[in-house]
Amino acid sequence: MGRIKKKRVGVSLDMTPLVDVAFLLLTFFMLTTKFKPLEEVEINLPSSHAKYKLPESDVMTITFSPDGKIFLGVDSQQLRAQLFGEQNKLKQSIPVTLEELPSLAQEARSVNPKLRTVIKGDKESMYGPAEDVMNALQKANIARFELVTELSRDE
Amino acid sequence: MGAVDLGGGRQHGKKGKRKKKRRVGVKLDMTPLVDVAFLLLTFFMLTTTFGLPQVMEINLPPSESKGEITEASLLLLRVTEQGSIYWNFGTDSPRPIAWEELKGFLTERSNANPTMITLIKMDRKSKYASMVRMIDELNLTNVTRFSIAPLLDQDKKIIEEVVATTP
Repeated sequence: MGRIKKKRVGVSLDMTPLVDVAFLLLTFFMLTTKFKPLEEVEINLPSSHAKYKLPESDVMTITFSPDGKIFLGVDSQQLRAQLFGEQNKLKQSIPVTLEELPSLAQEARSVNPKLRTVIKGDKESMYGPAEDVMNALQKANIARFELVTELSRDE
Repeated sequence: MGAVDLGGGRQHGKKGKRKKKRRVGVKLDMTPLVDVAFLLLTFFMLTTTFGLPQVMEINLPPSESKGEITEASLLLLRVTEQGSIYWNFGTDSPRPIAWEELKGFLTERSNANPTMITLIKMDRKSKYASMVRMIDELNLTNVTRFSIAPLLDQDKKIIEEVVATTP
């Protein structure tokens, strides 16, 4: 009788701010995410201390894999259809031979003069294919190009 | 008194007949919604990569250009199949250098001779990564005037001789 009944405290937490922030972040990530396009070959990039970022548009990518295959790709679908035919326009890049490379590169540059040439090579690859690609570019009168690298972590 | 009675009487009287409109507190269980939101949030946070890869710019001189270079200011860097570097100026005999020492060496040399021209000769069988590293070192030391050439058989022979003569 004399004992006071302990009141049970119902913990009610206001979740509204938490949910607000969660949704804010969710919208942010959903809107900023651009899914990485599927590549024909997986390339492990070499690392460097280069300061410049890869431009998002107007790039022509020449990829060479460790087994010596060369792939050419451009970022615009329209140009891809024009260069490689309608059936290949959804592919990110198509395999090319060293002989085709200069004329294709030149053709792409004539359609879009703003196109920048980037070379993507696997770090395990040998220098030979890189030399061939650079010679092919010189044949196509492309003396300025960029090598895609990863930012090196060590300092 | 009458007024109070009236008021109270009316309230009580009506309660019996007319149902008082209850304000319904809409209580929605938000838990599944929040669950899904967090699931998506984690997914997007984990899959997003912000950084684009870096690019290293290269300007190769046109193949037909023949610049006048004095032999003494031409630094020749030969990279062999095994990835070791040999350097020499002009017609001197090549000397090996380690990758780690390259940065200091290049800084020193380019300070001593700002008009220095660098020619990198790479073996076709050497690693592509070593070419990238070489250009990276050159960029880091502000040696911007360089060219790349293939390592010829005669270069290989010269290096073999150096390897044979040095213990």
